[in-house]
Amino acid sequence: MAGDTGEATLAGPAGPLEHGPDASAAVRVRDLTVSFPTPDGPLPAVAGVSLDLARGQITGLVGESGSGKSTLALTLLGAVPAPGQVASGSVVIDDVGDVLALRRPELRQVRGAKIGYVFQASQNSLNPLKPVGKQLLDVGRSHGVRDVRKLLHSARLLIDEMGLDAERVLASYQHELSGGMRQRVGIVLALVLNAHVLILDEPTTALDTLTQASVLEIVRKVHAERHLTTLVISHDMGVVGDLADRMAVMYAGRIVEEGPTAEVLASPKHPYTRGLLTAMPRITGDVAEARPLPGRVPDLASVPRQGCVFRPRCPLATDICATAEPADTVLGGRRFACHVTAGEAA
Amino acid sequence: MTTTAALTPEQLQRAMRRSRQQTASRWRLFVNTPGRIVSCAILVVFTLMAIGGQYLYPANLPIDPDSIYAPPSLAHPLGTDFEGTDTLALVVTGARYVLLAALIAALIAVFIGTAAGLAAGYYPRLGGSAIMQVTDFVLAIPGFPVLLVLSTIWHFSSVLQMGVALGVFGWGGIARAVRAQTLSLRERGFVEAARGLGLPGGHIIRAEVLPNVAPFIGMNLMLQLTGFIYIEVGLFFLGAVPYSTNNWGVMLNNAVFQANAVTSPRALAYLLSPLICILLITLALVTLANAVDEFFNPRLRRV
Amino acid sequence: MRLARLLAAKAVTGLVMIWVVASAMFFLVLDMPGNPAQAREAQDILHGMTPAQAQRETAAMFGFVPKQPLADQYGHYLWQLLHFNLGVSIAQEGTPVAHIVASAFPWTVILALSGILISFLIGVCLGVLAAVKRSTRLGDGLTLGGAIVNGVPVFVIAILLFYLFTTIWALFPQGGNVSITYTPGFNAGYIGSLVTHAVLPVTAYVLSILGAWMLTTKASVISVLGDDFILAAELRGLRPLTVARYITRNAMLPLFTILAIALGLLFGGSIFIEDVFNYPGLGQLMISSIATKDYPVLDGAFLLIIVAVIVANKLADLSYPFIDPRIRRS
Repeated sequence: MAGDTGEATLAGPAGPLEHGPDASAAVRVRDLTVSFPTPDGPLPAVAGVSLDLARGQITGLVGESGSGKSTLALTLLGAVPAPGQVASGSVVIDDVGDVLALRRPELRQVRGAKIGYVFQASQNSLNPLKPVGKQLLDVGRSHGVRDVRKLLHSARLLIDEMGLDAERVLASYQHELSGGMRQRVGIVLALVLNAHVLILDEPTTALDTLTQASVLEIVRKVHAERHLTTLVISHDMGVVGDLADRMAVMYAGRIVEEGPTAEVLASPKHPYTRGLLTAMPRITGDVAEARPLPGRVPDLASVPRQGCVFRPRCPLATDICATAEPADTVLGGRRFACHVTAGEAA
Repeated sequence: MTTTAALTPEQLQRAMRRSRQQTASRWRLFVNTPGRIVSCAILVVFTLMAIGGQYLYPANLPIDPDSIYAPPSLAHPLGTDFEGTDTLALVVTGARYVLLAALIAALIAVFIGTAAGLAAGYYPRLGGSAIMQVTDFVLAIPGFPVLLVLSTIWHFSSVLQMGVALGVFGWGGIARAVRAQTLSLRERGFVEAARGLGLPGGHIIRAEVLPNVAPFIGMNLMLQLTGFIYIEVGLFFLGAVPYSTNNWGVMLNNAVFQANAVTSPRALAYLLSPLICILLITLALVTLANAVDEFFNPRLRRV
Repeated sequence: MRLARLLAAKAVTGLVMIWVVASAMFFLVLDMPGNPAQAREAQDILHGMTPAQAQRETAAMFGFVPKQPLADQYGHYLWQLLHFNLGVSIAQEGTPVAHIVASAFPWTVILALSGILISFLIGVCLGVLAAVKRSTRLGDGLTLGGAIVNGVPVFVIAILLFYLFTTIWALFPQGGNVSITYTPGFNAGYIGSLVTHAVLPVTAYVLSILGAWMLTTKASVISVLGDDFILAAELRGLRPLTVARYITRNAMLPLFTILAIALGLLFGGSIFIEDVFNYPGLGQLMISSIATKDYPVLDGAFLLIIVAVIVANKLADLSYPFIDPRIRRS
């Protein structure tokens, strides 16, 4: 284990991370790069990302739109959105192996049964022409489930846990369900085959605050009851702060900071994280204290090719930031990538 | 989370330049497909034929009983018909009627169709659905049999009559497309804002809705033109409308029914000439309609 | 219950449409230059009939009695229609129009339906192929081919087919529906002849709407492929066959709108195709009745075509709620 302050030693793709939690991680992403073809050549939407999802913990991934977090999430299921391609790296999941190395039939078996993915409420993740119950049976049949009754029973229990009327939901079509209900049905379908890894993409976006709160409560509950390893992706710091044990901050395809949620929120080390936190107005204190970050999230083409990707918007930028991409600084159970703050005391 | 700071003047200028460049590149994409350039060329050629054809040839084309169904040669590039008249002359002079009648029909159809569509789309509750019922009715009835029956009663053989008849029955498609677009535009932010400001409905329709509906009108118009050409040539082809001036439909009628060109292998050029002209115009119009669609609808672009 | 109400509403609108068309035709006949009914009556009297006999004959032919008060004429006309009495033919003296029209109707329907079915099957397959292989040469080629075929008018197709396959290469008979050398019945000769005579006309029908099926299917499949629920289905590990079924059923929806339009187009096209191929259907009946000025037959054939199209449209409308559960609510 690395000590307190010290230079970063992010080992290469083959070696394990030398920092992080003691418990072995259920999901280990190593040096993942996903590139998209552009008129200027292939450009990375996810660049050299390494991340551990600790077993039994909720990890939050924060980033604005365009940070690459959705691409990362989809890649965890081996579903890189076309025309993107995995340029390098691996995604190793407990008792599955490297997802990116699986062949199609094996990958299909893993999806849904070992890893569950929950879409945003605003997306239509259900077949509009079939009732929910029939789609549930489709999922079961596709995974070779013989005991249909038992499957339905587990589904009904799950739906009841969510506070919905099981019979009504199973007979409903997608357009007959509200956004919150659809979100919950999505969670049911992701867990009904007892997956042990759960990924939620923006679980509270497009929901009203009351529904948001109940969805978060549900996530917390099922996570605890089933001892899941959960990844929550959100642009909303509040959601991640509320839910996650550990959090990672993503910017322009890179993880710029990662660590236990409480510590990161209390003393953020990366200027981007600091900027995000400063931009949020608080209930207490002067609203004018909240200052937005200048500039905009870069797209694939406008990411700086040299030096730190955050430099154009960074208040602390110095000369070295323009030429060298910062390596990770490790600080106890945390890491962050900044030339300037690396020198600060913990 | 974060918000962007206000744009500085330099950033604003850069943004405007970028938007101009984007429009310019869209235009280049539009033009650079060879199919579209060819289509425009085809339409230009036929328009010139329609405008100038009558000046190139005498009013009564000469017949030549010695060279009936002559094969294509230098003197007669497309051969001759059953009377020895030069086929090319027939094609060129025949273009005028076809295109002019279609144009008149198009103007009428656009006028009625746009008015009906805008009204039905902008005032869906007040009378909109009644207009749409009528439009759907007009659309459901197959146009050609109706015009066929009508042609026996009102012999609309002059260009103007034909144009009016086609236009009066052909506005349904445009009305439906305009209505659909108006309905969706009505819910858009800028229209709601205009309504909120208390601007009168007529002004909103003219100034806000109409410019956005224009590309759809253009597209549907081009497709409708092919329908008009098809119907008028068809009516002449079947002999339902009496002969007025030479046109391609009359040529086909002569070829197939009077002179039995379809059973005489030598008459290939005579038979095919008007057919190919119709084909070329139709294809050109369809290609350009797709091009307009692609230009205004970013999702269809191939890039 | 709601479905029954929908049915009733559609039936009523359908009947209203038919009534409007029938009435329009009534007033058109009156409006014709030299009202044929009156002309006929005058002619009959010239031929020696008493005015009463002439009136009766004209009434039988046209469905109403000229020179009576308009309301009476109109009422008489509608009453006759309700009894499926379409009048009596002029050209074929005394034969009820309903008989003439009824014997021509099956020929048109058989050809048109075969055309729709075959072009549907081929068009959908090609459309799916074009969608799946888009941005490859095969896909682009198919799309281009579909657009070209779509743009060609029906009579061009009919003439070309006739010219190519009966004159230049004498592969098929030159028109008619069956050779008279065979006795009608379920024997191989007759049926074979029926089929050979039907091949070219059906091909003409098929080609006239093939393009529309193909292009619509392609656009629909592409649109569905981009939908979130397809990705969701894959991420839940659904079998490829199941995903394909999800895609297909959702992509089929717009095709139903095309079905209704296709029927209208086909009946319009039947006029050309039957004329070129000399096929004894409703289309040819319309043409010949124009030539012989046999207005009762013309009206009868036209009315039957309109009724068929309206009924088909309404049926297509009615089947929508069964295919798309989202419509059931409204």
